[in-house]
Amino acid sequence: MQEVSRLEIDGSLRRYIPAIMALGGGFVMLFLRFQFGERFISDTALMMLALAAYILAALFQLTNLYAPSEMAQKIGLWGASLGVFFNFSSWLVRWVGAYEHELEQLVQSGNAAKPWMFRYIPFANLYDLSLAFAFGAGITTLLLAARKDFRFLTAFTLPLAALILTLARFIGGEHSNLMPILDSYWRPIHVGVASLSYGVALVCFAVAVIYLLKDKVKVEAMAVWAAIFAFSVIATISKFSVFTEFVYRSGLFLPNPMGGKNFSAPFRLAIPYVGETLVITGILLVGSIVAFLFYVYKENVKAQKFGHIFLRASFATLLLSIVFLVVGIRSTADVQTRLNDQLAASPEQFIDAGKDIAAKQRLSVQDFEAITPAQFEQAGKQYLQANGERLFLSFGTNPVELSGLITALAGLGFVILFSFRTDKIRERLPSLESLDNLMYKTACLAFAGLAMLLITGAIWANESWGRPWGFDSKETGALVAWLTYAAFLHTRISRGWSGRSSAYFAIVGFLLVIFTYLGVSYLLPGLHSYA
Amino acid sequence: MSSEAQLSSADDSIVSSPFDGERVKSAPLLNRLIDFVSSVRFGVVLLCILVILSIIGMLVIQQNVEGFEAFYASLTPAERIVGSYLGVFDIYHSFYYNGLLLILSLNIILASIDHFPNAWKYISKPKLDASRKWLLGQKENAVIEAPDSSTADIPNRIAEIFKKNGLRAAISEKKGKTFVFGESGRWNRLGAYIVHVFLLILFLGHFVALQTGFDADVQFVPGETTNQIEMIAFKLDQKEKFAVGLPFSITSTDIQQKLIDPKGSIEINNTMDWSTSLTIDDPEYGKTDAVVSLNNPFQYRGYRFFQASAITYGSARNMTLELTPQGGGEPITLGLARNGETTLPDGTKVAYDEFFPDFVLNNGKADSRSGEYNNPVVKLNLSKPDGEKSVAYAFAMKLPDSAPVGAPVAGYRWRLAEFEKSPFAHVLSIKYDPYNAAFIAWYVGGIGLMGALVFVFFVSHRRVWALVEENGEIVVGGITNRNHQGFKDKFAKLISDLRKI
Repeated sequence: MQEVSRLEIDGSLRRYIPAIMALGGGFVMLFLRFQFGERFISDTALMMLALAAYILAALFQLTNLYAPSEMAQKIGLWGASLGVFFNFSSWLVRWVGAYEHELEQLVQSGNAAKPWMFRYIPFANLYDLSLAFAFGAGITTLLLAARKDFRFLTAFTLPLAALILTLARFIGGEHSNLMPILDSYWRPIHVGVASLSYGVALVCFAVAVIYLLKDKVKVEAMAVWAAIFAFSVIATISKFSVFTEFVYRSGLFLPNPMGGKNFSAPFRLAIPYVGETLVITGILLVGSIVAFLFYVYKENVKAQKFGHIFLRASFATLLLSIVFLVVGIRSTADVQTRLNDQLAASPEQFIDAGKDIAAKQRLSVQDFEAITPAQFEQAGKQYLQANGERLFLSFGTNPVELSGLITALAGLGFVILFSFRTDKIRERLPSLESLDNLMYKTACLAFAGLAMLLITGAIWANESWGRPWGFDSKETGALVAWLTYAAFLHTRISRGWSGRSSAYFAIVGFLLVIFTYLGVSYLLPGLHSYA
Repeated sequence: MSSEAQLSSADDSIVSSPFDGERVKSAPLLNRLIDFVSSVRFGVVLLCILVILSIIGMLVIQQNVEGFEAFYASLTPAERIVGSYLGVFDIYHSFYYNGLLLILSLNIILASIDHFPNAWKYISKPKLDASRKWLLGQKENAVIEAPDSSTADIPNRIAEIFKKNGLRAAISEKKGKTFVFGESGRWNRLGAYIVHVFLLILFLGHFVALQTGFDADVQFVPGETTNQIEMIAFKLDQKEKFAVGLPFSITSTDIQQKLIDPKGSIEINNTMDWSTSLTIDDPEYGKTDAVVSLNNPFQYRGYRFFQASAITYGSARNMTLELTPQGGGEPITLGLARNGETTLPDGTKVAYDEFFPDFVLNNGKADSRSGEYNNPVVKLNLSKPDGEKSVAYAFAMKLPDSAPVGAPVAGYRWRLAEFEKSPFAHVLSIKYDPYNAAFIAWYVGGIGLMGALVFVFFVSHRRVWALVEENGEIVVGGITNRNHQGFKDKFAKLISDLRKI
C-alpha cells in the first residue's frame, strides 16, 4: 500500500496534465485568435464545443460507473479536459472579441480613446459569468479527478456545467457596451472569485448528492424531491399561468434602437401545446410524488412500481413540452397578429401590461394608486400600437424559465437513471468517509470563496457607490449562501454532524448560490441587474 | 492520566460546551444561560434565523429599492398594516434584525473565549509522546523494522528526516522510551479565532460607520456653488429630504461625460465615464481642487465624494463656433467652453450664456422642447469694445438667411459648428464617515478575514510521532486536522524516507 502511495507521489504532477493542458491550450487559442483575427473560431462556437465535450465526458464516466471500463474512464477524463479547454478558450477568445467590438465603434465614431485591455475582460454580464461559472465547475472537477478514485465526479458535475452553458446559450452572447460602473479593476477580482466559488459549490453539491446515493437514500425519496422541484418550476413559470390558465406564455422583446440588450416587452405570447403538455407533466409528477411517498413510508411495492411509471411518463411529457416551446419560439413569425388575437380574447392582459409600464416609471405610491384600470388598459394599448410590429420572440427573453425546465428534466433524468442497477453504482462509488471528506473540503473552499466574493464586492461597492453594504438583492443572496455554508461548517463542530446531515446542508447552500446567480438577476430588483 | 487519554482529548480543537452536548441541569441558571449563549449550537440557530430573515428581505421588496412604490400600491390596507408592523418592508434596519446581529456577535465572542484555551494548548503544550497502541490506532501508521546499523543515533536521524519533510522536530524521553515528535502548521489551530476576530472588526466598523456617519446626494451644475447636501430618508411610501450643511462650500468647475461615440446619445450604454471637477473652499484649510469619476472617489475631511449619476438633459461642454462676417469674407472659427468667455479679433467679448438641446421659441422666449439634441442652440452674450451689448443664438442646423433668429449680430452670422455633448448636471453621492470606520471594517476586517480564511482552509496542523522501541523498531503514527488526503501522501513519503534510515 505504501508503495502505491509512493508511485502516486512520483506521478503527482503527471496526474494534473489534463488540467494543465486544458489551461495551456486555452492560452494557445488566445494567441491564435490574435494571429488570425475574426477569421478564427468564434467564442460561441467554442462554447458549444465545450457543452458537447462536457456531455460526452459525463456519458463516458456514467458508462464506466455501470460497466467499468478503463477506456471509458480515460475518454471521460480527457473529454472533461477537452471541455474545460473549449470552455476556457471560449472565455479568452470572447475577451478579444469584446475589445475589438468596442474598438471598432470607437474608430468608426472618430474617438481616439484607447481603453485598457482589462476593460474588456469577460465578466460584464450573465453570459460571461455563466461561461466562467461552468469553467469554475469544470476545472475544479478536473483538479479533483487527478485522483483516480474521484474521477467518477465527472459523471455528475459536468452535466450541471453543461446545463449552465445551455443557459448561457439561451441568454445569448452578443457583445454589448460595458456599463461605465463596471470599468474597474475590482470587477475581474470580484466576478472571478464569484465564478470559481460558484463552481466549487457546484462540485460540493454533486458530492452531496452522490453521498446520499451511496448512503442508501432511496432513489424514490430523491425522486420525490426531483418531482417537487420540477412541479415548482412548472407552477411558477409564465407568471403562474400554467396551472391557473393551462397556458404557457413566453416573454417578448422590443429591439433596442441603440444596439445592445433588447428591451423586455410588457406582454407575453402563448406558445401552442406547451401549457397543455406541462399541465399533464404536473399531474404525472403529483402522481409520482404520492406513489413514492406511499412506498417510502408504507413500503408499498405496488406504489413504487406506479411511481416509476408516472416518473418516466412525466419525463417524456416534459421533454415534449420543451420541444414544443423551442419549436414555438423559433418558428413563430407573425407575433403581432397572434398577440392581437390573444389580447382580443383576454383584454385584461392590457391592464397587467399597463401596470408593468407604470411600475417602470418610478411613480409615487399615491400617483400609482390614482391610476384607474381603464388608464392602465389604455397604456397597454398605446404601447402595443406603438411597438406591436417590432415585438419578437427569443430564447433570451426567458432564459431562466427555459433553463429551469431543462434542469427539471435533467433532475428527473438522473433519478430515472439512478433507479437502474442502483446497487451497482453504489458499489463503484468511493467510501462514505471519503465522500464526506471531499464534501467538507469543497464546502470549506466554497465558504472561503464566497467570503472573498462578499468582501471584494463590498470594497468595490465602497469605491463606486460610496457604501460597502446596502442589502442589495445580489449582496444579500451571496450573504445568505455564505451563512448557510457557515452553518454547515459549524454544525460539524457543535453537533458532530457529518455525512447525510451535512449533505442536506450542502444541497441547500448550492440552491441558494443558484438563486443568487440567476433568481436575483431575473426575479428581484436591485443594483446588479446586469449580472 | 495516560498519554493515550491525553492525546485523544487534545485532538479536538474545539471541545463542545455543555449546550453542544448534554445539558448540565444542576448548574446555576445564569451559568446555564451563559453556556447556552456561548454555545456553537446556539450560533448555528442564529445563523439559520439570519438566513431566513435575509431571504424574507430579498423576496419582499424593501422600501429603498426601485419598484417598491408599485409593489406597495398593489397591497391591500391590511397587508400594509401587517407588513409595516412586522417591519418586513425595511427588515434589515428592524430592531430584531439588528438585535440578531448583536446576539450573534456576542455568541462569537463568548464561544471564542470558551474554546480558545483548548486550542492554545496545541501551541503552549504540544504532546510530545504517544503510546504504541495509540499510534497504531491512527489511520496513518507504520512500523519500521530496526535498522541494521546502530540504534543510538536513530532519534536524531528521524528528527532530520522529519525536518526534511517540513516538520518541526522535538526529541523527548519518557519512561525509558524515546519519542520524536514532528509537527507543522500548529498556528492553524488558532485560525478559527483569527477569523472571528476579523469578523468582529468588520461588524464593529460597519456599525460605527452607520451610527456616526450618513449618506447624502448633491447635484452639481457646472458653475454653481453649494454648501448644502441632501439626505433622503425612506418611510414606506414617503421620501423625506433633509438639507445638511457642510463646513465648506463646493463649486462644480466642470463636468464631463466620456462617450464611446461622441456623436451618439448621452445614455448610459454609450458612456465610458463621467467625471466632475470640483473646487472646495474651506474657511479652515483654503481651496482644494478635485476630480471625481466613476470608481475614483475623492475624500476630504471625513467626506467621500462618489460619482453617482447624471441628469441626462442635453448640454454642451466645449463648443466650436463658426462666424461668417456680415460683409463677406472668410469665416472665423472660435472655441468656447461652457461658462467660458473669449474675444474676437475686433475686441468683441463672447460669453457663454445657455445651451438649448431642442430649441423652440415659447411666447417669444428661447426654450427647449426636450432634453434631446433635436435642435441644439447656444445662447451667447456679446459685448463690443464700445460697451454695446447684444445676444446671439448659434444654431447647429443651417438656417435660411431670411430667418430672424439667424440674422447677423455684432457683424456676424453665428453657427454652432461642433459641440461636445454633456449632461446638464452630475449627481454625486457623499458619504460622511468621520472615523473611517467603513474603511477599517472592510479593508482591515474584510481583507484580514480573507487572509485568515485562506490560513484556516489551506494550512493544516500535521502531527507525527515516532516511538523508538528498545529493539530499534520505529512505530510511527500521524494525524492532521484538515486535508486528510494530502496528509496521507505526505505520510507515505515520510515513511518511505524513514525506511531508508
